[in-house]
Amino acid sequence: MANDRLYGYHGVLLEVDLTSGKSAKVPLGPDDARRFIGGRGLGMKILAEKLKKPGVDALSPENPLLFMPGPFSGFPIPSASRTCVVTKSPRTSPLKSKHPKASTVSYSNMGGFFGPEVRFAGYDGIVVTGRAPKPVYLYIDDDKIEVRDASKFWGMGTDEFDRRFIEELGDRRFRTCYIGPAGENLVSYAAILNTAARAAGRGGVGCVMGSKKLKGIAVRGSRQPSVADHEGFLAVLDAIRKTFKDGFSGGLNYDGWRRYGTSWALIDASENGLMAVKNYSQGSFEDVAKISGIAAEQKAWVRDFACFCCPLSCKKAGAVRGGKYAGLVHDGPEYETGGMMGSNLMISDLGALMKAIYDVDDYGLDQISTGNVIGFLMEAYEKKLIDRTFLDGIDLTWGNADAVLELVRKIALRDGIGDLASQGVKALAGRVGGNSAGFAVHSKGHELAAWDPHRTIDLAMTYVTATRGACHLNSPTARGQNDYAAMDSLGVCMFATDGFGKDGLRRLLTKITGTDWTEEEFLKAGERIFNLERAFNAREGFTRADDTLPARFFDDPLTTGPGKGAVLKRDELEKKLTEYYRDRGWDEKTGRPTPAKLKSLGLETLI
Amino acid sequence: MKPQAPEKLTFKELARSKDPSRRAFLRDIVVGSGGLLLFNRFLVRQVHAQTKEEKTVFSMIVVDFNKCTGCRTCETACSSYNRRETANGRDLSGLGNPTYSNIRVYPYNPDVDIPITCLMCDDAPCIEACPVDPDPKTGWKALFRSGTLPVVQNDTVRCIGCGSCAEACRTKRVGAIIPNPETNKPERMCTLCGGDPQCVKLCPYGALSYVVEGTNGKHYGFSPDLAAKALAKLWYGQD
Repeated sequence: MANDRLYGYHGVLLEVDLTSGKSAKVPLGPDDARRFIGGRGLGMKILAEKLKKPGVDALSPENPLLFMPGPFSGFPIPSASRTCVVTKSPRTSPLKSKHPKASTVSYSNMGGFFGPEVRFAGYDGIVVTGRAPKPVYLYIDDDKIEVRDASKFWGMGTDEFDRRFIEELGDRRFRTCYIGPAGENLVSYAAILNTAARAAGRGGVGCVMGSKKLKGIAVRGSRQPSVADHEGFLAVLDAIRKTFKDGFSGGLNYDGWRRYGTSWALIDASENGLMAVKNYSQGSFEDVAKISGIAAEQKAWVRDFACFCCPLSCKKAGAVRGGKYAGLVHDGPEYETGGMMGSNLMISDLGALMKAIYDVDDYGLDQISTGNVIGFLMEAYEKKLIDRTFLDGIDLTWGNADAVLELVRKIALRDGIGDLASQGVKALAGRVGGNSAGFAVHSKGHELAAWDPHRTIDLAMTYVTATRGACHLNSPTARGQNDYAAMDSLGVCMFATDGFGKDGLRRLLTKITGTDWTEEEFLKAGERIFNLERAFNAREGFTRADDTLPARFFDDPLTTGPGKGAVLKRDELEKKLTEYYRDRGWDEKTGRPTPAKLKSLGLETLI
Repeated sequence: MKPQAPEKLTFKELARSKDPSRRAFLRDIVVGSGGLLLFNRFLVRQVHAQTKEEKTVFSMIVVDFNKCTGCRTCETACSSYNRRETANGRDLSGLGNPTYSNIRVYPYNPDVDIPITCLMCDDAPCIEACPVDPDPKTGWKALFRSGTLPVVQNDTVRCIGCGSCAEACRTKRVGAIIPNPETNKPERMCTLCGGDPQCVKLCPYGALSYVVEGTNGKHYGFSPDLAAKALAKLWYGQD
């Protein structure tokens, strides 16, 4: 079964076909491990193998849903806590394609403990295909694999299900992830959650899970892969632990991460005109202090909590202490949740914001896309492109938290206007018409995150070149993108990588696998992964013309703050893109990876 | 170590206070809310020596729930030290598989994490429950204490795998002892790493302390379920 030579891996993938309810252990070859590392990279390789033809409906049983830890997962490496969920996206669509169900790749990362536990159970990844005839959950306890009935949990919110699931399993050593009602109802931007707070939020991965009638996965394990250089690994790990703290010299230092998590960026982004405010029209939010980490620390937070072996503890737990939502328990705003559900909707009441964040998590929606969709509708309502009847009677004015909560409910249940809104801003703009496509803030159908690109062409490049549709966890340059793609394949958290120093990640990977991971090799693997994703998208019909942003960022200058007056220039973005494709070795006109480039990366037979 | 006098502070001031004495005060509330867990006044005491010639000094791992983030670094540190592995013919520290850890973190919703490890109970209900007759020479049952550390050990040769010790620990204390899934013999008794506990050393948050010394005192240990319930009530106001 396991290949003894394949250090750092079990050499085993778990494949589960929900249609038949059968599972199988599939070998993972050394060549795949070497070329695609794990996590996002290995997931993309398997996706391409499973989907040999373009145009497969993302919600069909054919589309695989992959839960991918990496070679770092299951070792006590700081913040090696991530699980990358990979699938074909139900969110994206090209400007034109001969395939009606064309869409991009999708990947979404979550922290917590799930990925390490998958490895403890003896697997380098879980591949779910098919569709169960009725709601099920997947039970994995080392070698014991069962597809179990989940009918009684169908319809349950993630908070309650998180509790009930673990009670049903009877041991708190199980790690779980699951969808909420939004995923069950096939809301296109449904998320997969774990611990009722952490999410693989982006790219509609929860929608795909819902299409498979898979409510959740529980995993528990007792094993660990061996490493090539045991002693050397422990020595490097020890050294990294000692210097980890010193690595954080950038925007936020180590103690700042611990104290505020990503919420520190709320004030920072607002002060720099980089924040999603009022559907990406302002750049700065005058009430930002009311929803910032400083306010949450004083009013809500109780404790910090961390993912597996992570010294940063960027997550905070708290409760609303007063006002309408007193007693509500949830983590306070992070950057994206506070930005998208707060400033983008002009909500400045911390308690109401926490309630909105709680509801979005509980229904199992992506916070980013949900905030974006509601922001779009608020603007359309203000501009009288839609009326109250269109919104089922909801008075969706800026900052109206009650209206937001009602709309969130409707989206998750696809009730009335929620049915249309569940498809995202691109579909909404198609229905609303007028000039609304100009402020439908997406790229390729995937909504932007809470970083407003008006002021910076680099951020615009980051969004438009991302392979899952708009994504802020990407880089504007080919080299940066390759680096990120490789890092996303290790199972380590992007926020923590500063702590590893310049070559710490590669040194660990070398000790684990026994092959020499030079910087060149590492970036080449990243390049291979990114090119595979891009080639997959190109095959679906995406071209250079899809690498763009809505008119909002070119024609509507920011209205407030230090970024007031800022706009992006179309020709500047086009110039940058041409340079980028050239740098990538892609066709400048189509944006497609050339056959020569694919061949040089060994991808010519895969895609 | 003396409990702080109660001060008039609001919850949030307490919870976020950086002043160590106030944090200590908060800890005492935790103790107060039902005699919970391992805190100050119960900490330090002496364990009766198990043999006549050796004097066992009370020592144990103490958790500060306010600092614990549930990251489980302690589990990997414990496992790495106590579950050594052979690689290339050499005896080395393990890779930290949490399965073999003697300290285990139990997560709850709302967000509470309860690290559980052997409390080094004065009265050792686990040893009390062991049905194996004491060895005439040493006076030890299969489960016994010896040496200067109050750690509980198992003589796997004489142990009959009845599970009474684990049951006693689970029902009377914290459930630190886990029977081996195959032999049913007790495992996961804290070794204190020979007096230099690795979990304490490697905790990134300073949430674990190693306490050595003592006066007499009665010992209390609550199960993770009860501890989580009390903390959820304290932190989030939830019943």
